[in-house]
Amino acid sequence: MFAAWRSDFTPAQRAHTKRVLWLLLAYAIVLPPLVWVRANTAVAGYIPLLMAVVAALPVLGIFASWGRYLSDETDEYHQAMTLRRIAIATNATMGAAVVWGFLQAFGVMPLVEAYWIPLVWVVIQGFQACFGGAPPRIRED
Amino acid sequence: MENRLRVLRAERNWSQQDLAGRLEVSRQSVNAIETGKYDPSLPLAFRIAELFELPIEEIFVSPSRRSSKAI
Repeated sequence: MFAAWRSDFTPAQRAHTKRVLWLLLAYAIVLPPLVWVRANTAVAGYIPLLMAVVAALPVLGIFASWGRYLSDETDEYHQAMTLRRIAIATNATMGAAVVWGFLQAFGVMPLVEAYWIPLVWVVIQGFQACFGGAPPRIRED
Repeated sequence: MENRLRVLRAERNWSQQDLAGRLEVSRQSVNAIETGKYDPSLPLAFRIAELFELPIEEIFVSPSRRSSKAI
């Protein structure tokens, strides 16, 4: 099943998936020690800033990979579908962030760290791929 | 957009994968075009027409022509 799924990927999709997997691995390796250091030591000065940048770099790399994918993709249909998903996810995420921001400002909801916003963005795209703006099923013929 | 892509493909005994390979697009793209879920760009429409050696109008049904027939 994985082989069939992978064979339906375009070369640009395969390259993008590989890049994202490596970046997620880097994120998984880098983040725990940084969190531990922050929680258990009294780092100060420029070190917390450096730690924050290092933690963010793999995620920034994932967004850069998305941009690279959109320029590498030669299949116009896949490119159009991806752009559509990104547009819907961006609108929904920004809307949710605005609403939550006001609810939080008026004391209705608790403060949520800003780094959850990209995760919401990715999850919305995932929902679209599974239930909504997904490519049509391939009919066997 | 309605089209005759499936019919033309069947006449040549090509699978969707075969047609996708000849057009250098994905099989999902071919499926989406055949089912009217996606309208190809002009360059791709020209490539399709050149592959089948037919004018574009004999492969794709113009939406304006379709609605005028309905009237």
